[in-house]
Amino acid sequence: MLVLTRRTGESIHIGDDVVVTVLDVRNDQVRIGIQAPRSVKVHREELLRQVGEDNAAAAASSERAAALLGRLASPPPRSAGRDRPGR
Amino acid sequence: MTQQLQDRPALSEKVITFPDAIPGFPAARRFLLRDLDEQGTFQLLESLDTEGLSLVVCVPWIFFPDYAPEIDDDLQRELAITSAADAIVFCSVTAEADELYLNLLGPFVVNATTRQGRQVVQGDAAAPVRAPVPLAG
Repeated sequence: MLVLTRRTGESIHIGDDVVVTVLDVRNDQVRIGIQAPRSVKVHREELLRQVGEDNAAAAASSERAAALLGRLASPPPRSAGRDRPGR
Repeated sequence: MTQQLQDRPALSEKVITFPDAIPGFPAARRFLLRDLDEQGTFQLLESLDTEGLSLVVCVPWIFFPDYAPEIDDDLQRELAITSAADAIVFCSVTAEADELYLNLLGPFVVNATTRQGRQVVQGDAAAPVRAPVPLAG
């Protein structure tokens, strides 16, 4: 990992198209600004990781999930013919 | 009286492509959707690239009518989605300890016509990655 030290207001260029700027530092929180083309996706690491892990868990449990579908609270039954609203 | 069931798009015949694959499975770009029930409420998203990778998915509004995933301008542009009618949205279902959960943090958004899509990690943690789905009885 490349480690750099920056002060508030200073920036880092990554590749040709990405600029990361330290906007604000308060206690242990750093506000970071990112300029990147639309094609470059930017995510909070922990959220990306959670989705990846959940995909793995969903894949591992897909047979069990399919089996449990029959136990879901089903939508209300359609009316059997009485009290039909006007056509 | 006619009450027409909404026709679901016939996705099961056509390959869905995620050009950037899906988080956790970097080779998994092409998928098929197969209906798991007659009503088409649940599907199985089956990978054509990664063996054994299948996810149960469903439309999230069945269980979470107020769910509002962020589909921002960049995503709309990327997937050529100009209106809600262009987009198909579904979320994966996970089973654990006989309970079911929907991943609302990472919905799948697919262009209904081009069949290209992306699993969109939401920008903040407001949408849970494991939202419990009530089981009857």
